[in-house]
Amino acid sequence: MAVRPQHVHDGGIVERRLRPIYDWLDNGNNKKALQEAEKVLKKSPSLQAARALKALALFRLGKGSEAHSVLDALAEEKPSDDTTLQAMTISYRESQQLHKVCALYEAAVKAEPTSEELHSHLFMSYVRVGDYRSQQRAAMGLYKFAPKNPYYFWAVMSIVLQAKTSEDTTKRGILLALAQRMVDNFISDNKMEAEQEARLYIMILELQEKWEDILKFIESPLYSQLVPGSTAQACIPYLTKLGLWKRLNLVCKELLYENIDRWDYYLPYFDSVFQLMKQNEEDPECTVDNTAEKCHEFICQLVESMSSGRTLRGPYLARLELWKRLSVDGDPTSLLGSGLSLCVQYLRVFANKACAVPDLRPYLPMIPQKEREENCRDFLTCLGFDENSEPETTDDIQRHVSCLTAWRLTAAPLSADEALSLATKLRDHYMRCLKLGLVTATITEFCAPDAYGILAAHHYFYAAVMQQSSAPIVEALCLLELVLHHSPANFHAKLLLVKFYHLLGGALAADSVYGRLEVKHIQLLSLGWLHGARLAPACAATRALQLLADTRGFHTHHSKDSVEHLTYAYKYGTFEKLVELGNWGNRLEACGWAASAARDRALLSLLAGPPAPLHQPTRLPAQPTDNRDLNVIVNFEPPQFEDIHLKSRTFDQEMSYLKLKDALVSAIALCIELADNRSVEEKKDHYEQLNVCVDAFSQAMDKCKQMYGEKERICISAPFPSRIIAFVNSPVPYRELYCTTLRLVGELALGRAAPVHSACAAAQGLLPNAQAQLATELHFGPDAAWNMRDCLEHLSNYLEFIGIITFLLGVCNELTAPASTKKSKKKINQSPDELKTSELLNNLNRTVQSSILYLEGVLDDWPKYEFGDLDQKLSNLTIDTKYQSPVESKLKAGREDMINDVRYILKRKSKYLKTLQ
Amino acid sequence: MTTIRPFTCEDMLKFNNVNLDPLTETYGLSFYTQYLAHWPEYFQVVESANGEIMGYIMGKAEGHGDNWHGHVTALTVGPEYRRLGLAATLMNILEEVSEKKKAYFVDLFVRVSNKVAINMYKNLGYIVYRTVLEYYSGDPDEDAYDMRKACSRDVNKKSVIPLTHPVRPEDVD
Repeated sequence: MAVRPQHVHDGGIVERRLRPIYDWLDNGNNKKALQEAEKVLKKSPSLQAARALKALALFRLGKGSEAHSVLDALAEEKPSDDTTLQAMTISYRESQQLHKVCALYEAAVKAEPTSEELHSHLFMSYVRVGDYRSQQRAAMGLYKFAPKNPYYFWAVMSIVLQAKTSEDTTKRGILLALAQRMVDNFISDNKMEAEQEARLYIMILELQEKWEDILKFIESPLYSQLVPGSTAQACIPYLTKLGLWKRLNLVCKELLYENIDRWDYYLPYFDSVFQLMKQNEEDPECTVDNTAEKCHEFICQLVESMSSGRTLRGPYLARLELWKRLSVDGDPTSLLGSGLSLCVQYLRVFANKACAVPDLRPYLPMIPQKEREENCRDFLTCLGFDENSEPETTDDIQRHVSCLTAWRLTAAPLSADEALSLATKLRDHYMRCLKLGLVTATITEFCAPDAYGILAAHHYFYAAVMQQSSAPIVEALCLLELVLHHSPANFHAKLLLVKFYHLLGGALAADSVYGRLEVKHIQLLSLGWLHGARLAPACAATRALQLLADTRGFHTHHSKDSVEHLTYAYKYGTFEKLVELGNWGNRLEACGWAASAARDRALLSLLAGPPAPLHQPTRLPAQPTDNRDLNVIVNFEPPQFEDIHLKSRTFDQEMSYLKLKDALVSAIALCIELADNRSVEEKKDHYEQLNVCVDAFSQAMDKCKQMYGEKERICISAPFPSRIIAFVNSPVPYRELYCTTLRLVGELALGRAAPVHSACAAAQGLLPNAQAQLATELHFGPDAAWNMRDCLEHLSNYLEFIGIITFLLGVCNELTAPASTKKSKKKINQSPDELKTSELLNNLNRTVQSSILYLEGVLDDWPKYEFGDLDQKLSNLTIDTKYQSPVESKLKAGREDMINDVRYILKRKSKYLKTLQ
Repeated sequence: MTTIRPFTCEDMLKFNNVNLDPLTETYGLSFYTQYLAHWPEYFQVVESANGEIMGYIMGKAEGHGDNWHGHVTALTVGPEYRRLGLAATLMNILEEVSEKKKAYFVDLFVRVSNKVAINMYKNLGYIVYRTVLEYYSGDPDEDAYDMRKACSRDVNKKSVIPLTHPVRPEDVD
């Protein structure tokens, strides 16, 4: 963040002296900035601005306490010059002490009560902490001596926000009435002058549900002067609220005559028609459409009114919408014909556009399944194509692809063999286009034939899932890599490649394609499920740590930044956006995936990260929000497969997993706190907390086991089954393993010999059993590639435990031989109990080491990807000898890198454990 | 068949089917929120009947005196929804807003290699006002065309007399 204030008042000597400090700060060289500040302060030790900048430099150098003592001293002096105040504000903002900024400006305003700028800074300081009452006071104070519209509306908005957050309905009513009166007065004084002020007024009326008043206002000359040309459209929501269906009907019709493609006018139009149908009134003048017939007539008029050059989708789709709405409690066939033929007709008109099928999708479920399946070939053949057609122009290929897709979306599901043979046929279509030079993609545009490849990949996937076999996935991967090679912009191919490489456990192969999606910023949250969440369970620990850290970095950066957006909204008077930005900030703050990523990272760091303190995450959000975009991979399954609960169900699973992980992280954090050198008496509180935490973890494990016993279907567009399923259903006794180890640390901290000894013995007894159970879980069967993903997930769960127990043994070591006294006091004056404790801990340590040895053996025998007839598969995809399919090498190299990564991690753990003995 | 509405924060969670396109930049969060807070009327989305984002435009008004103009920061349409005239619809909105704000002209930057876009803008009445050298960083850096269209306030069309020499990015205000 640039530090330099926007307006520097004094162009003189002080500014000249400070300039180098600003330069260093803005360049990120905080050390130089500090030196420069010291230099200036030598000459003029009391210069407040220089001290403020020194504090900022100190703070950015990680010297928080020094920085704060400088700031506190400065604050005592109640500075009021802009340069100093702004530098202090930045320091407070970066150290999350926004309340201190308020106090700072309160004092400054007292010193200079007529400074507009200081008052406005004071207002913004309240905005940052969300103190609406003080905001109101500050804004009114400001307006009194600087009577400008924005200040007045800042006050009004501050009142609205108080009302919105007030739980007391009476108080809320009073506040809103006050806000309304303030604006009413302004209107009657002819002082309203901006569109956003008008919108704020509407917002106030909306909160009071004064729909009629809103309509009156929208129809007033003032509104059309402030917001020209949008009166009719603005009326729509309020006509709906008031149930003024006739007027709504006429308004929408008028708008639709002018804009026959505007879907946001069709929907309220239909609402009005269906309401008027219910009222069943005679309409002698026939001005409104109050019957299905009139409605249909209107749509037909719109179709006919289109000039011949351009066919718009709106009216055609409106007919489908009418059919759908009529079919809810009746049979629209006599009026409109069958829904099926309407859909086919739509396809016939628009099949040359890539959007034809996405448009049709919401309407396919209205055709009964049986009718759909029996007539599915109508979609395929409506333009004279069938599955064997070989169109030769781009337009015809697009039509063919649309017909094929609509056919698959309506047909009964195929058997595995049928799916495979269709996939082969579609692949051949793609290869034919490639050979004929019909694949005309550029770096920015994909092309129609790509869709053959994508649709083929889907069918390979269906066959693979039905056969539980990796071979079709390999075929799909080879084809998709080829599609991507020729059509580098095609993100559908990229998404499927990421998905399919993961399906075969090839996380690092997936990573090679993921990089080309250039996922960043907000996409780290909306698409984290696709890749970021799948790296750790595929044992790609090092890469997982990077991506989780990026995700975490984005999220923390956002929460520091988000209050600034609110100050912008005030500055530019966009009051509507203020509420939206506030909600958005809260939504992201509570992001479920961000919370998971923070915990995954903390735990995974114990395994694979460099030695560092536990990355203690911020508190779990009370109501985590689901920000996943699960529509990004297109799904071509027929409507009956649509799982409307999928999003909420998978989110619940993820959140249960999050809670388990959170309990683990909290318990480990408590273990660390218990390892300091306080007396036993002082540690009792933490000990109790640890026990509560471990109990909660244990109970949650049990509960989750009951809840998540069922296997989830693997769906092409949905995330892979949540990690919670494999974790709680594992035969490896993770609940006992974690609980015993964590309790061991607690008992040791309190020096309770007997429980320590029994926990040690229990943990040691559990490990060989765990190992044996892990062996039963790692069942690869004859198709190792197909089972790779599951096996890696089992392995990753065990590895994570090894990371944690190793870390906790380190904590035990701290407790039995504190680092500072280790050398001198070792083995001196140990009681028999203590001797036994060390012996048992050493035994446990050795058992963990042998478990690591066992894991190294598992890695030695880890199956390789075998592709017996890959050459055969690839020969189907050859058109020029220059292209070499990267699938095999990506999977093999990814496996090697993964194994080496895990081996290296295990080696480090082993080495560390040896130092503890 | 289009719903036209203001872009909202939550749209950022579902614009992947548009933003995964390689030439559509996904900006840092505050870039979007700053535009939303400052120029909400310039940030519009076109949505399909099934609720999918088909495309969006992001713009602003800036400049002093007769340089007061509307600027297109980002205009993008998802691959499935191209060649439906959506970009033109969105540009129209931006031009209308600029007219309301009494701007002298509307301008935009486009990669010189992006022939499809350049042609589209030409069809909408934009001219290449000047070339900005190495405006897009990359390997190698790429030049941009600064394209313009005059608004009705610029009666003599002074703002669209092309410059004869290319400029450096630092000379663009």
